[in-house]
Amino acid sequence: MNAETIVEKINSAIRDKIQEIALTAPRRVQLKVAREQLNAVLTYLKEQFGFTHVGTISGVDLGENFEVVYHMSNDIATVNVRILTPRSEPKIPSICAVIPGAILYERELQDMFGLVVENIPDPRPLLLADDWPAGQYPLRKDWHYERPAEIIPGGE
Amino acid sequence: MEFKVALGPQHPALHEPISLRMTLEGEIIRDADLKLGYNHRGIEKLAESRTFIQNLYLTERICGICSFSHQTCYTQGVEKLMELVPARRGLYIRTLICELERVHSHLLWLGVAGQEAGFESFFMYTWRDREVVMDILDWITGNRVHYSMNTFGGVRRDIDELQKKKILDTLGLLKTRTEYYLNIGASEPTFANRLAGVGKLSKEKAIALCAVGPTLRASGVPMDVRKDDPYAVYDEIPFEVATADSCDVLGRAVVRVKELLESYKIIEFLLKNLPEGPFKVKAPRKVKENEVYSRYEAPRGENVHYIKSNGSDKPERLKVRAPTLANYAATIAMLKNGFIADIPLIFAAIDPCICCAERLVQLDNPRSGESKVLSFSQLRAMANDRYKKINFKKKDSAWPF
Repeated sequence: MNAETIVEKINSAIRDKIQEIALTAPRRVQLKVAREQLNAVLTYLKEQFGFTHVGTISGVDLGENFEVVYHMSNDIATVNVRILTPRSEPKIPSICAVIPGAILYERELQDMFGLVVENIPDPRPLLLADDWPAGQYPLRKDWHYERPAEIIPGGE
Repeated sequence: MEFKVALGPQHPALHEPISLRMTLEGEIIRDADLKLGYNHRGIEKLAESRTFIQNLYLTERICGICSFSHQTCYTQGVEKLMELVPARRGLYIRTLICELERVHSHLLWLGVAGQEAGFESFFMYTWRDREVVMDILDWITGNRVHYSMNTFGGVRRDIDELQKKKILDTLGLLKTRTEYYLNIGASEPTFANRLAGVGKLSKEKAIALCAVGPTLRASGVPMDVRKDDPYAVYDEIPFEVATADSCDVLGRAVVRVKELLESYKIIEFLLKNLPEGPFKVKAPRKVKENEVYSRYEAPRGENVHYIKSNGSDKPERLKVRAPTLANYAATIAMLKNGFIADIPLIFAAIDPCICCAERLVQLDNPRSGESKVLSFSQLRAMANDRYKKINFKKKDSAWPF
């Protein structure tokens, strides 16, 4: 089996669940799905081709939308499964039921992009400080760091 | 009765401190929890405001031990975005440094494992040998830690015949010493007994929790990016993926020793087949709008960079996932139902980019809140004391070589 046969099989078996599919580079498959179909597609990939390993989950701020890319790998190829979620309602489904190892990446997405991961088993913040102000999401494009004014003890 | 124990979080000299909170029942860990981000530096945000060339040196500074892993992962990703075919000699030199880095990282790990197991002369021997590799790296790149060898289209410095000869000569020494370490394990049964059965991680769990690198391979899964998704010139090099089936810390040590021996073979192959020609080609400054998912087998496991470009000379997004983060979920599974005395060993076994367990607060009496602080060395002494009391003849774990 190789990446081409994976694309063919996905196209014939779950055509109704995916939006776009392309083979962009050797061993790299790009797959676009609706967010409602994400878990169904990942389950299919896991059961049919053994895509059990999620490399990481990348969030990208596209302005009006957030793009979330799930990098699924097995021993022959990597499938980049992407979903879009609007900035006004940034909700994504949790994939921990299918891939338990995704939990830290989902918590990271919640911290950095303010995405709401539905049904996440452990919603606590992962990376940001305990006293981090609410509603500040550092990896959004409209967030800029401003260094606080320096206060010298005793004036001057 | 249950106790809560906090391990960590800070050590000023380390770049990745984390906090572990454990629920204990007697000496047995029933639950463990992680808190990260004590030294989150915002490199992903910073990378968006730097050019691709500047990011070469930024990504290198993600890690102080596998610095070349991050830089190579980033470089080969950007080369794909630029649709640039790097010089073949450059790729060979790049792969050579990748393997030298793996050797020094694994020797470092063996030493740490020896120290955590209370076998401190082993630690001193492996670190002495690690210096030999560090000297080679210093000699061919000019630096001991941040080699700055990569550039888009190849590497920045060539290597000459004298350097080639010196590396080949030194390899003989390293091989002899690594084989000696194999025999140490066989002639020193306490070492094998201390590592065997500690930090169990079943094959199914390792796959489900997306573990990477030697942690995963020691659970019997032959996943290696160098074989599965070959980058640089790994598709031309004959080598074997090291695995073990014991699913414990001993297995992780075995995998790393086997990988050391494979790495020496790879280095020898690279130097003997080094092609002539230029070692770099000219690269464009701007990058077309595209995206790439770059994978790399770092000494600790699969390293991942996701780079998205927007047509300018700066990346739109750079996402980095270092192997240690991927192994944290598995570490929690390993700690559960283990002994408190095994924490340093289990934690060291994933080869984390941290040694944050600098201090340990032990709550003696949760009702009155009286607490006692143990230093890391005291904790290690406790662990060693405990294992001195065990009759190892009964356990009888065999060194697998």
